[in-house]
Order: sequence, then C-alpha cells, then structure tokens
Amino acid sequence: MTKLFRSVRFNIFLGAAITLAAAVGTLIPQLGEAPEKAAAFQGAHPQWSRLFDFFGFFDLYHAWWFMGLLGLMALDIVLCQLWSPPPQFACEEEASSRSSRKEATLRRNPHQALFASRLPLERAFAQAQRGLAAQGYRIAADFATPAGAAFVATKHGLQRWGSYLAHIAFVVILAGALVKGIFGFVEMVPVMEGRSQALQHKPQWELFVDKFSVKYYDGTREPKDFASRLRVKQGGALLAQKTIRVNAPLDIQGVRFYQATWGAGGDFRSVTLKAGDVFTELPRHARRRIAGTPFEVEADVMMPNFTAEDGGPATASLDLDNPAVRFIFHGGARKIRPLWLFENDPQHCLVEGEDGALTHAPKPPFELAAIDPVLFSGIQVAYDPGYKIVLAGSGLWLIGTIMLFYLHRRRLWVIVEPQGGASCVSVGGWSSRGAQDFEAEFGLLMERLRAEMEPRSDLALSRNPLPEAS
Amino acid sequence: MSPLSLVGVSHKNGALEAREKLAVVSAQRVFDELRREGVREAVILSTCNRFEVYLFDEKERARGWAVELLERVSGGAVREQAYLMEGDAAVAHLFSVASGLESLVVGETEILGQVKTAYEQAKAAGMTGKRSNVMFQRALFTGKKVRNDTAIAVGPTSVATVAVQLAESIFGSLAKSEVLILGAGAMAELTARHMLSKKVAKLTISNRTWERGRALAESLRAASLPWEQFESGLESADIVIASTGSDRPVVRRQAVAAAMTRRAGRSLFLIDIAMPRDVEETVHGLDHVYLYRLQDLEAIVARNLSARGGEIAAARALAGAKARELGAWLKSLAAGQELSLKHSDAANG
Amino acid sequence: MMMQMMLIKSALALYAAATGMALTYLFSKDDKWSLWMLRLLGIGVLCHLGSFGARQYLFWQIPENRWFFSINSFFGALSFLALAVAAAFFVIEREHRLGILGAFVLPCAALGTGAAVIFADPATRGLPPALQSYWMNIHPMVLMAAYAMFGNAFGVGLALLIQEHQIKSRKPSELCYRLPSIEELDNLNYKIIVAAFPILTAGIIMGGVWAYEAWGRFWGWDAKETWSLVTALLYAGYLHMRLVRGLRGRKAVYVSMLAFASVIFTFFGVNYLSDLHGYLSARG
Repeated sequence: MTKLFRSVRFNIFLGAAITLAAAVGTLIPQLGEAPEKAAAFQGAHPQWSRLFDFFGFFDLYHAWWFMGLLGLMALDIVLCQLWSPPPQFACEEEASSRSSRKEATLRRNPHQALFASRLPLERAFAQAQRGLAAQGYRIAADFATPAGAAFVATKHGLQRWGSYLAHIAFVVILAGALVKGIFGFVEMVPVMEGRSQALQHKPQWELFVDKFSVKYYDGTREPKDFASRLRVKQGGALLAQKTIRVNAPLDIQGVRFYQATWGAGGDFRSVTLKAGDVFTELPRHARRRIAGTPFEVEADVMMPNFTAEDGGPATASLDLDNPAVRFIFHGGARKIRPLWLFENDPQHCLVEGEDGALTHAPKPPFELAAIDPVLFSGIQVAYDPGYKIVLAGSGLWLIGTIMLFYLHRRRLWVIVEPQGGASCVSVGGWSSRGAQDFEAEFGLLMERLRAEMEPRSDLALSRNPLPEAS
Repeated sequence: MSPLSLVGVSHKNGALEAREKLAVVSAQRVFDELRREGVREAVILSTCNRFEVYLFDEKERARGWAVELLERVSGGAVREQAYLMEGDAAVAHLFSVASGLESLVVGETEILGQVKTAYEQAKAAGMTGKRSNVMFQRALFTGKKVRNDTAIAVGPTSVATVAVQLAESIFGSLAKSEVLILGAGAMAELTARHMLSKKVAKLTISNRTWERGRALAESLRAASLPWEQFESGLESADIVIASTGSDRPVVRRQAVAAAMTRRAGRSLFLIDIAMPRDVEETVHGLDHVYLYRLQDLEAIVARNLSARGGEIAAARALAGAKARELGAWLKSLAAGQELSLKHSDAANG
Repeated sequence: MMMQMMLIKSALALYAAATGMALTYLFSKDDKWSLWMLRLLGIGVLCHLGSFGARQYLFWQIPENRWFFSINSFFGALSFLALAVAAAFFVIEREHRLGILGAFVLPCAALGTGAAVIFADPATRGLPPALQSYWMNIHPMVLMAAYAMFGNAFGVGLALLIQEHQIKSRKPSELCYRLPSIEELDNLNYKIIVAAFPILTAGIIMGGVWAYEAWGRFWGWDAKETWSLVTALLYAGYLHMRLVRGLRGRKAVYVSMLAFASVIFTFFGVNYLSDLHGYLSARG
C-alpha cells in the first residue's frame, strides 16, 4: 500500500483530482455561498441538478468524496514524509552514507577540488575545519578513512527541513479543519434592533442588539459603515458587550460574533411624505387625511427590495435596495386601489389590482420622501476551535516554503590524506541550488581555504555534471 | 595628383604565385625601400589573401614606380597582377577592405584585426603621419560601424561554427556541456576542436576501432569510450557528434529514447555530419532531442551567406560614404583649410 | 482626477513605446533599442507611480478611506498589477541582463494599463466596510506581487517555447540567436517561480487570516480563495515535476503556463463567479 502512495503517478492523479474538483466547485453555485443562485440553477436545469445533487455538487467542498480526497492526500503525505527521513531530491541518493572511498564520494558531487598543503595531517584537518567554520559552515560529521580523515560541512542545513515542513503543514491544516468540523459551529442570527435572540448552538446565550446603525456615502446607497451595539447575556448575567462592525468582531471564550449583514424584514416605524414643500411624518397604520379630498391614507406594507413578479408585489431580498411602501385609502365614496410608492424613484407609482397585478398609475398628490424601517442586524456567530491549528499549519507551510526555496544549502565532503610529511586535501561540493549557481562560489571558497592552509600546489577544480536537482 | 596611392595584389585577380612571393617579404624591407625613395608615410597590409601598400608621396614620379618596387622586393613578376589606385579610389578600397567587403567570406572580422596590426606595425616603424593616422583610424572605425549597422557579419559561415552556435542556443554557455564524438575521422576531429575552443566540460571519443579512437582522444586530451558502450554515453552527453563511416545508422531511436528518460528532459543535441547518415531520422521526433544533419547545417550556412550578400549593398553604401568623407578631408588638408571630421560625422549620421 | 488620468495615459504610452522598442530589439542587433526600452520603461513606471499618487490623494479625500491603498476597484487593481509587472521586469532584467525578454513581458504591462484606462471606471469611491482594514494594504499587494512575478515567468516560458520551436524546426531564423538559450530560459522560468511561490503562499494565508477577522471563517471555498489555491496547487505541481522528477523543458513549461492561466482566471474570471470577492467587478 505504501508503494501505491509513493508512486508518482498516484500523487499526480490525487493532486490533479483535488485541483480539478476545487475548480469545478466554483463554477457550480454552492448552497453555502449563494443559495438563491443554486435554487435558480436547479430550477433551470432539473435533469443536471438531479445528477449534481447525487454527487453533492451543490455543496461540493463538504461532499464525502471531496473530503475523502483531502484525507487521502493527508494520509499520503504522512506515509511519504514520516516514513523516511527528511526527503532529499533526485540527485542525492545518500543522506548519511559515509563512504570512505575517496573517488566514490567525490564523484557523487558535482564540484570537486584538489590541492596539496604543507601542513601535516592533524593540523591540516583542524585548519580545514576552522577555515570552513569561518565561512559559515557547520561541521556535521567527521570520521576516519583508511588513509586519513574526512568531515562533512554544511551551510543552511535547515533547508532540508523545508520540504518536510511544507508537506506536514498540509496535514496540520486539515487536522484543524477537522477539529472545526467536529467541534465548531456557525450560525447566522438575525436580531431585530432593540430586541434579542438566543443562540441555537448555545441556548443559554442571548444576543441583544440595542442599536443598529448604517451610514451611507453621501448621495449613494453604498454603505459606509454599519455597526451594532451588541450585548451577550448568559442566563441574565452580562457576558460581554461591544459595538461590533465588519473587521471588529466580539470574542467570548472563542465564540466570535461578527457583524455580517443587515436588512429589513418589512416592518417599519413610519414614512415621511412630501407634498409640495411640506414634509409630514406618517406612522405605520396611522391614517391621515389628504388635504382637499375626502380620503385618508395609510401606509401598511413595506417591501425592502421591491420586485414585481407574476404573483404580484414581492421582495427580492431583505436588503434595502429598492424600498417601496404600499398606501391604502379609506373613506370617500369611490374605492381607490392601493398604490405603491418607491423611495429611490419618486416619480414611479404602481397601482395594485384585485388579483395583485401591478400597473402604472399617475402619482398621488404626495411623494414618498423617506422610510424609517425597522432593521435587523445579521450577526454571524462562529466558533472555530481549529483556527489556531490551521493558523499554525499555515505558518508551517509558509516557513517550509521559504526555507525550501530561499535558503541555499551547501554541503562539502572534505577528505584529508597524508602525503609525505604534508597532506593532500580533496573536496566534493554539492548545492541545493544546482551546479551552475554554486560553481563560482565553490571556486572562491576553495581558493580561500587553500590560501589558509600553506598550499604547496595549485588548486585543481573540476566539474562532474550530474542530473541536477534544481 | 593625389599624394595617396595604393599598390597591391589580392586573391581577386588570382596571382597566387605573386601573393606567395610577397607573403614572405618582411614589412621592414619594404619600409626601408620606401624610405630610400623618400616616402615618409606608408602602411603595409599583408594577409594570406592580399598584399597592399598604402603610401603618401609628395614627389612626382613615374606611374608604376611602386609596382617596380614590389617586384624588386619580392623577386618575382607581379606587374601583370598588381593593381594601382590613387586618391579617392585608394581610400574607398581601404574602407571596403576594412569592412570585409573584399574578403572571401564577406563581412569576416579577421581582416579588421589584420588592418589594425598593419597600422600599428607602420606606426611602430615610424612610418605614419597625420594623414595615414587619421585614414587608418577612420578605416577601422568604419569597419566596426559597417559590421554593427548592417548584417554583413552576422551568421556563421562554416558548418562547424553553425553547429556551435546552435549548441549555444540550446545550452547557453557550453562550459558545462559534455560532448560525445562518434567516429574519429577528419570531420569529427575538426568539429571536436571547435567544441574544445568553447571549453566544454568533457569530451569523449567513441570509435569502432579502439586504437584510432584512443589516439584521437589523447591528442585532444579527451576521454575514450569503447564502441560497445557508446549508447550509455548518450545518457550523460549533451552534444553528440556522429561522424562514423558506417553504411547504416548506428544511433537508433530506441537507444536515444532510453537515454532521454534517464536524462529527465535535459536537451540532447545530435549533429550528424556523416554521409550516409549515422542517426535515424525518427530520433528528431523525440521530445527535447534536436537532430541536425549535414544538409541542415549546410542550409543554414547558405542562408547566412546569402543574407550577408544581401547586406552588401548597404555595407558598400556606408563604407563608400565614410570613404568620401575622408577623401574630402584629405583634399581640405591639402588645400590648407582642414575640415573637421567630427562635425561631418555627425552630419552624416 | 485629471492629473491621475493624464499620468496613467502617459505611462500607458510609454509602456506601449517600450514594448515597441522591445519588439524591434528582438529583430535588430542594435543595443540602443534595449537601452531606450529600459529608459522608457523607467519613466513609464515613474509616471505610473505618479498616477497612483494622484489617485491616492483623491481616494483619501473620503475620510473612511484613510489610509488605505486604492486597489479595491478594477481600475486600481489592474493598474497596480501592470505596475508590478513592469517593476518585476525591471528587477529581473537587471539581474539577468535579458532585455530581449521585454518583448514577451512588457506587452502584459501595456495591456494591463490599457485595459484599466479603456475599460475600467477610474472613479474613486468609498471603501465598503468589509475592506476598511489594515489588511487592505497588505494582502492584495502581496498577492499581486506574486502574480506579477508569475507574469514574468510566463513571458520567459513563452520565449522558451518559441526558441524550442525554432531549433526543432531545423530552420532557425535570426530570432533564434537573439533569444537566450533553451537551458537559460528554462532555468530562469524556474527561478522566478521559485521566488514567487512563497509570496503567493503568504498572500493566501493573509487572506485567510483577514477572512477570519471579517467574515468568521479562515477558509470558505469562495471562488477567489479556491482559485488562488488552484493556482498554488498548479505551481506546486510544476515544482514537483522539476524537483522530484527532474523534469524540465517544454512539458514543465506547459504546466507553468497552465498555472498562469489560473492566475489570470483568479484575477479576472472570479469576478463573474463570486459576489463576495467580486468587489473587483466594474461596480467597483
């Protein structure tokens, strides 16, 4: 089974499957994101929708098979990464094999250097170590060889953990998501201004919205700011209070209260009518006589986002995008049908027929200047105990990729062998950045090292092109 | 009568014998002869393909005295093949030569170095003056400009240099490349030497007869690979030059495909200069494999030559314009009202 | 407003001219084309920065917008992206002296700026409450820096495909000798992607943290989030191809180009799919 997971083909398929599924999920309306679009889609394509529904395409990211793919990927990573020491790349077969055969070791490295030193064996060995340490290298291991002694020096050795961390991070993130899935909850709580609502997931908690305000940019319907003064009580005792807005939620014991949205349910306190230059406030269901006529007008129904459908007047959503108020008329001998007036468009007027049919009508002698709707604040309550885990995992991913790609790991095998009373130094160099990047640096490094070791021969550099890792 | 005259022989009018005789003549000897004749300013251009003397002479002499001088120093009959030019024609000729327009391979750059050497030699011998200094400096400048502003010097003109240029287009610097040569004949050796001049990382020779291969490898300081193992050499070689005398293709698609999987996508450049071909044509269809046969390289050479040829008109125009400038300057100098060359350069672009 | 439009139109003209120079340099040997390309590009970048400055001034007239960067609208974001592409090219060109690649990269900068000027609405509006956060100044910039680098990598990949095709055809034209070698292009493509990948990672994570602050969840599989992840996965695929399997050349480049297509979709296409992240749509 491990063989399957370690096979490259399998990993490619797994990765491609997850990528493809994720992409498809953005093209099909998701229930969580846009329920109306999903409903519309289902209405328009009933056959396809049945098929999609079967596969869970309308909630793709929580479908059993998608989560299964993610879990499989996590398992795959665990098996591949944890089963062997931190992974090496294509050209390094040995992580820690210590060949004492000079040629074999050196030939494995793309860069080789050779020079003779006047220093006797022990001093040369010590000096070589000192010289490299001065260049920022860490002596990773040293050991005796049949002829002399050898050591391994590395720089930025941390880089080898980069890939390991980056992969493990994925597992950590999924673990955090799993914790959230099991222990966390999300609830959207609409609370009318001045009223309260209890949480479904934590019934002892009650949310009070004392005040909700929304401000618009001058002359537009673009919101500038909207906020609720929120109080949370547990069993009558006050837990916390805060004025929350988007980007500034309230946090109680890990449960966070977000100002998500707002809207109007249809209730309103009053409307303001304009006749000529005179503004009159008309509370809901109150009647006022229209000057010079026997009729009284009453504002009875409001639609926050008016839309005219076959069935008659309706609201497309709870957003105050197209507020309209219906006015009914009392008194007088003639029966006047109800009229709809629009806050955004004072010239527009519709008359509602018996069956609810709407037709254009001439304006009454007053305009709808403003509405004072009763707003509800849409508070999103979210409890995500896995967040810190996911955050840690993300941090690991970032650190891992930074280490992997920005650090430049170098490794030198240094073999010192006696030659007469002096010694001969052979060096093999490898770099995680690939041979051509390291070439100049290696040459320079060797020159410096040789200079410090009482050289009695020139520096011989050679290249041994191997399949490069990067 | 212009004080400037030119006498010489070149490959253009045959004169192989004359050129050979003149090629061994030392410049000092000619300078001595000229000094004896009272000439103070002269430059001698001596290459495989031409021998020319440019001189400034105030004295009125019989036409052809210079040719006689050449005959004297070379000890041979050059009269029939020698040409004589004066004044503007001489200037135009020099500028044309420096621009590579008179060379066998149009636009070649070696001649520019040769003109420079000739000028410096004359200077060291104390045989230059204001006129020759300016003229030769302008000639060198024009030679460079023509090669920069036109495409007269663009595009290699030999199969070997074309191959190297292609290799560089695939690999960049060849200093990290490994070259494998199949065969040990003359063509193989020639291409190998070209590769060596680019300081390739490793050169390996593999020949059917071991001794010949090893001999060539030793002379080139390269490695040897037994013929039976050459297919494994495909793995590590970046550039393969196939030049065996085999009747049938020796490099099969299968072998290359196998090598390519082990090379993991690193490019492989195969140059098949054998006749008949050494490499199966289907090899070119493999990913990341580039197989160039002799006819492909020759086609590129032909294209380059014709492209150079196409540039001749533009190059001639430019060289001619610069020559005319200098001619005007010489005349102005003689008339005592020296033109400023810098200004005229700007005016003419 | 006038100042902003004038400066960005100048920048557009300069980018277009620099692109023209780059294309000419592709076919002419004269180094002066490359020199002028860089000069015009440099001046264009300065004009573009100036236009940004003017835009910021206008943007900050609305108190709620202080002190955020004005890249919440299509115009602002596109403009910034084009600027980043040009700036990234500048840096890469200096580092590797490959002015010849201007012909492949600068069109992006010119097109981006052109699209902003022609199709996008330059009016500055107040930021919606969701964007009034200090993350606004970090998260989009980091991501767009990564996108700009990927754009440069795409140009390099394109050059590689052309070069490869030239040599494979066995009838290479003059262009073949002007372009860098296949190996060099392949390596450069890889290097740019390697440098940009951690930046992309950082940007995605920042998005998650901001979303947790604003919307209550770190990751909601919203179209933009998902597609940025798809992009990261595709580039990760490319990196695996090269690092684990040692694959290079054309196949690897195809994968990196597919990943760049994903970048384009993440930036543009998502606006048609998501309302949440779709604040980059023309409504601004």
